[in-house]
Amino acid sequence: MATDINEIRNEIKSLKQKKNSQLSLVWLRFKKNKLSVIGLIIIAIIFFTALLAPVLTPYNPYQIDMTNRLSSPSSSNLLGTDALGRDVLTRLIYGSRIAMLIGVLIVLFEGFIGIIFGIISGFFGGLPDKIIMRLVDILRSFPVIVLAIAIAGILGQGLFNVVIAIGIVGWTTYTRMVRSKILVIKESEYVENARAIGESTFSIVLRYVIPNAIPTAIVMVCIMMPTALIASATLSYLGLGVQPPLADWGSIISSGRNYMLEAPWISTSAGFFIMFTVLGFNFIGDGLRDALDPTIKRN
Amino acid sequence: MHGRNKYILEKFSGIIITMIGVSLIAFLILHLSPGDPVRIMLGHSATEENIIALRSRLNLDRPLYVQYISWITNVIQGDLGISIRYNRPVIDLIRERIGITLLLTGTAIVLSVFGGILTGVISAIKRNTWIDYLGTIQTMFWISVPPFWSGILLLYLFGLKLRWFPITGMVGFRSLVLPALALALAQQAWFARPMRSEMLEVINQDYIKAAKAKGVKNSLVIFKHAMRNALIPIVTMLALRLPWIIGGSIVIEKVFGWSGMGSLLINSVFARDFPVVQAILLIISFAVIFANLLADILYSLIDPRIRVE
Repeated sequence: MATDINEIRNEIKSLKQKKNSQLSLVWLRFKKNKLSVIGLIIIAIIFFTALLAPVLTPYNPYQIDMTNRLSSPSSSNLLGTDALGRDVLTRLIYGSRIAMLIGVLIVLFEGFIGIIFGIISGFFGGLPDKIIMRLVDILRSFPVIVLAIAIAGILGQGLFNVVIAIGIVGWTTYTRMVRSKILVIKESEYVENARAIGESTFSIVLRYVIPNAIPTAIVMVCIMMPTALIASATLSYLGLGVQPPLADWGSIISSGRNYMLEAPWISTSAGFFIMFTVLGFNFIGDGLRDALDPTIKRN
Repeated sequence: MHGRNKYILEKFSGIIITMIGVSLIAFLILHLSPGDPVRIMLGHSATEENIIALRSRLNLDRPLYVQYISWITNVIQGDLGISIRYNRPVIDLIRERIGITLLLTGTAIVLSVFGGILTGVISAIKRNTWIDYLGTIQTMFWISVPPFWSGILLLYLFGLKLRWFPITGMVGFRSLVLPALALALAQQAWFARPMRSEMLEVINQDYIKAAKAKGVKNSLVIFKHAMRNALIPIVTMLALRLPWIIGGSIVIEKVFGWSGMGSLLINSVFARDFPVVQAILLIISFAVIFANLLADILYSLIDPRIRVE
């Protein structure tokens, strides 16, 4: 008896180690790609900038100072001030909060819908699959930004309207990816075995299908983040995004546009913040894809 | 022959269903507006008579399905409704502006495909040199840049500072350069990647080595073979990127103050001119659907093996 228990203990131990080694294998593969590590650092910096915004800057992003309008970059205002005398760097730092919030909300929104539809479509097939894939085809006939402009414009400004306007096309990408992944999982031996021993469909989906689709979903989130960020910045630039007094990168570019000759630093620096954030997610996405799920190809 | 006919029939009915779905979405957009769309369209100063008149003109006093059927019947007959803001037929407004949008997207497509092919080929030939790395870095960079921002920077640099190109509006060929470039710089990156990998594959093929050994001018041979292989990935990429190029051109028009369909869409959204918004949504999505169909036809021309999937 005692040996039996020890054997089982050892087996559990080795199983746990195996799981750990799998994770460390992913990390090892991820680390090998220098660009993805750079991406991770960029996003970590942006994330902490968003988190620590009040500590990082002595200024208030809404503090208007008409005596100090459009001043050039200096030691007191590293990136100068805008048309209302507000410190540009401070507004950009606070802007990272809105960018991160909108990006995460969009990805959660479209990911949630897209993954559920992808699982239904891939696992059950038949009529639900046909209907969902037709809906995907229909929505993908609209350029993301065109439908987003129309929907955000009609729903009105505001954070959640932006999320809906962009996510309404965005989820289709998750559905396609998850569906094709599920089609492979469905044919795998472990799912066939589970079926053979009479496990219910619900438990198969919960225990085998979803856990195995998670790597794909994680990679998808990183691949979709750039689109979400650029699309929401575009809506803000057009005046269809979050409300203007809020420090948002897209609207900072838009307001700086009118002062390109006197104060080119406003629009220029705001664009660099967007670019580096998007670049970071692109790098991470590429690295994660290769490390977690080499079967996914970009587009 | 039988399988092929069935395939074409399925494809065709699929496209019809997609077009109906797309038209339903464009139609229903109007009903997303919080509150009475007629009151929103006409604004606060509208009289009760005007409201009733517009409501019956748009059939909004009738059941939803009747509204859709009468709208889509008119659309099929070429009647896209009447703009509330301009009080003119929407089709006329679009006819005046579509040329500008086609010019911009067309130029951007040509620039991005050729730019992408060029950078991809150069990267592959100079594989693992600093030129290749530079090529890879520039694709990463441009994929991450919002097109409206690169438009603003190009305007600032080449318009305001160097004064090489006009700043706004359309005055001849020179005013096309900056907007088309702003669009194409971001898009060429998507074509450079597949081109590079196809090119690398071809370089390592035996028949290329044989051709080289025979003393054929190698760069031309490699390019010809790589191009033939890369045609399918490039057509695929073009079909995938087309919605993005159209979407980008709509925003770029606004940045450069061009009065094309993009500016019309954005202005109409702000003016609550719903008939115009619906019409533009419909036209753009139909363009995307037909582009995808065209890509499918091109595939079967390029490679007869994929005719019946």
